[in-house]
Amino acid sequence: MLKIKGLKAEIEGKEILKGLNLEVNPGEVHAIMGPNGSGKSTLASVLAGREEYEVTAGSVHFEGKDLLELAPEERAGEGVFLAFQYPVEIPGVSNINFIKTAVNEVREYRGLPNLETKEFMTLLKEKQQLVELSGKLANRSVNEGFSGGEKKRNEIFQMAMLDPKLGVLDETDSGLDIDALRIVSHGVNELKSKDNAFVVVTHYQRLLDYIVPDYVHVLLDGKIVKTGSKELALELEEKGYDWIIKELEEEKL
Amino acid sequence: MATLTVTDKDRFLINQEGQDFSHEAKTFIKIRELALKNLKGLDFPSNKLEDWKYTNLKELGKLEFRPQSAANIHADKINEFKIKNLDAYFLVFVNGFFEPSFSDVIEDKESDFLVTNLNTAKKEFIKLVEPHLGTQTRAKDQFFVNVNSAFSQDGAFIYVKSKAKLDKPVQIIHLVDGDLVAAYPRNLIVVEKFAQAKVVLTYDTIETHSALCNSINEVVVEEGALVQLDKIQNENTNTYHISADFAHQAKDSTFTINTLPANGKVIRNNLNILLNGSNSTANLFGAICLNGNIHVDNQTFVDHAKPHCESNELYKTVVNDQATAIFNGKIYVNKIAQKTNAFQSNANILLSEEAKANAKPQLEIYADDVKCSHGCTIGQFDDEALFYLRARGIKESTAQKVLLDAFIGEVLDHISNEAVRAYANQLIAKNFKSQFAALKN
Ligand SMILES: Nc1ncnc2c1ncn2[C@@H]1O[C@H](COP(=O)(O)OP(=O)(O)OP(=O)(O)O)[C@@H](O)[C@H]1O
Ligand SMILES: [Mg+2]
Repeated sequence: MLKIKGLKAEIEGKEILKGLNLEVNPGEVHAIMGPNGSGKSTLASVLAGREEYEVTAGSVHFEGKDLLELAPEERAGEGVFLAFQYPVEIPGVSNINFIKTAVNEVREYRGLPNLETKEFMTLLKEKQQLVELSGKLANRSVNEGFSGGEKKRNEIFQMAMLDPKLGVLDETDSGLDIDALRIVSHGVNELKSKDNAFVVVTHYQRLLDYIVPDYVHVLLDGKIVKTGSKELALELEEKGYDWIIKELEEEKL
Repeated sequence: MATLTVTDKDRFLINQEGQDFSHEAKTFIKIRELALKNLKGLDFPSNKLEDWKYTNLKELGKLEFRPQSAANIHADKINEFKIKNLDAYFLVFVNGFFEPSFSDVIEDKESDFLVTNLNTAKKEFIKLVEPHLGTQTRAKDQFFVNVNSAFSQDGAFIYVKSKAKLDKPVQIIHLVDGDLVAAYPRNLIVVEKFAQAKVVLTYDTIETHSALCNSINEVVVEEGALVQLDKIQNENTNTYHISADFAHQAKDSTFTINTLPANGKVIRNNLNILLNGSNSTANLFGAICLNGNIHVDNQTFVDHAKPHCESNELYKTVVNDQATAIFNGKIYVNKIAQKTNAFQSNANILLSEEAKANAKPQLEIYADDVKCSHGCTIGQFDDEALFYLRARGIKESTAQKVLLDAFIGEVLDHISNEAVRAYANQLIAKNFKSQFAALKN
C-alpha cells in the first residue's frame, strides 16, 4: 500500500529525513517511536504534502501512485489521512460546514455523488458517537477553543468521516487522559479493517496496549534504525533510546 | 507681466456651474452660498494634504466632469439594480436626479414616515428638512463636502416620526449614466426619538467611460432611535466615488453603518460620527474585497463627545491583483466623555504580490476613565489553516474561499437583512471569481 524508499527531506535548508525506508501493507498497524526532533512529524507532513518541506531524494508510492506528485487534497482523495499533532484552529469556519465540504470534495474526487443532507446527518451522528464527540462542537469554529482532548477526538472523527485507506496518527495520544485515550483507540480499532492501515506515531507504549501494532519502528535522526514487534515499544519505554544509539555505533565500528 | 493661469480647481468649479437653484427656499440657497464661499479658500485635494496622502486625484482634476441629466432609461434596466428578494421601498436617482416614475414615494402628511426626494421635501416638508440639512457638513476644510453642498442636484429624504418604525427598508439606488458625468446625490435621513429605520444605499453604473459621483449622506439619530445603513458601492471601473457620511447621535441611540466598496476606479469614504448624547452606540463595519486596479480609501472619524458611549469599529479587507486599500480610523474622546468604550480593528489580507494595504489608527483621548483599543494587521491567509483544509481533501480554491468567507463573514454578519447579505456575498464572490478559478487549474 505504502512504499517509502530512501526518502530525504529538508526544511529551510536543514536535512531532517535522511534516507528513510518504510513499507506498509493493508491490514497492518505500524508504530513509529523516536526521540523529540527525530523527524516523526516531518515524515507525517511529507506524506500529507506540506509544501514547506522539500523532498531531495527517494520516493513515496501509495497504491502504485507517486504520492509526491500529488497535491495535499489529492492525497486525501486517494485515501491518505493525517491526524495532526497540533490540530489547527480556524475561526469563522464551522466544524460541520468544514467536514461537510471535506466529505463532498473527497467524494467528488472518488467519483461519488454528494451526500444528501439526510445521509450526511446520519453519518455525522454515527461518527460523533464513535468518538463521543459532543454534537455541540459541530456548530463551533473548527478546533477553536476546543480542549486538547476534544481536538484529538475531532481528528479521529474527521478520519472516520473521510474513511481513508491509510491513517497517519501523529501523537494523537499526547495530552489525553485515560478515558480519552480509550475513546480514541476504540475509534481507531472500529475503523480498522483488512483493507486499510495505520501508522501511529507515539512516545508512549500505553497507546499500543489499545492499538496493537504489528511492527514498531525506531526513528532516529531521520532514519528508521530498528524495527521490531510490539515488545520493542516496552523496551524503549523502559530503557529510552541510548542503547539503540550505542548499538548503532558498535555496528559502525 | 503676470500670467493668468487656470488651476484644476478653477476649471473643475466652473464646470459645475450653470445649474439653476434660484427656485429653492432662501434657507437652502444659503447652504449653497456658504459652501461656495468655503471653496474659495480651498485647494483641490492633492497628496500634499495629510488627508489625501495616499489617494491621488490628479487625473480627476484634469477631467471635465459636468452635471448632466441622463437620457431616458427603460424600467427593465432600472430593475436590474434592485436587490433581489429585497422587500423594500425603492428610490431611484440617475446622475443625482430623481426618477419618480421608478420610485415608491410616501408623502402622505398623515403617515408615520416619509420616503421621498429631497427637492420635494425642501418644498413640502421644509419644517422637517430645515433644522437638519447641512448642519453636519459645515466643515470648511472638506473640498468635496463643500462641492456637494454647493452643487447637489437632489437625493433621498427619509423621515421617521418619533416612536414609529419604517415598516420596510428603503433601497436608495443611485446610478450614473453617460460620459464625464458629475453626480452629487445627497440623502438626508431623519429618525426621531425612539424610531427605527433601515436604509440600503447602492451606487451603480449604467454606462460611462468616465464619471464622478460625489455623494453625501446626512443621518440624524435622535434619542433612543435605531438606524442601520448598508452602503454598497458597485460602480464601474471608470467611476470615481467620493463620499462623506455623517451621523449625529443623541442619547441612547444606536447607529450602524456597513460599508461595502466592491467596484469602482477610486473610492473615498469619509465617515463622521458624532456621539453627542450619553449611552449611545455607533457600529462601523467595513467589508472591503478588492480586485483589479481599484483604489479604496476609508477614513473614519468617531467623536465621543459625551460619557458612557460605545463605538465598535471593524474593517476587514481582502486585496487582490493590483488593488489598494487604505484605512485611516480616528477616534476622538472628549475630556468629559468618561466611561467611553471605543474599539477599532482593521485586518487586511493581501492575496497577490502587487496588492497594497495601508492602515493608520489614530486615537486622541482626553478623558482618563476610558476603554479604548485598536489593532491593525496586514498579512496573508493562514498557511496552516489552508494546509489543514487541503489535507482534508478540500481543493485549494475551495479552501481559499472557505477562509475568505470566514474572514469577511465576521463583518457581513452585521448586515441584518438576508437579501442584502446575499447580494453582498454575491458581489464579493464575483470579485474573486477569477482568483479562485485560476487556482483550480
Ligand atoms: N519549520 C521548520 N524550520 C526549521 N526546522 C524545523 C521546522 N520544522 C521542524 N524543524 C526541525 O526538524 C526537526 C524534526 O522535527 P519533527 O517535528 O519532525 O520532530 P518529531 O520527531 O515529530 O518531534 P516531537 O517528538 O517533538 O514531535 C526538529 O529538529 C525541528 O526543529
Ligand atoms: Mg512531532
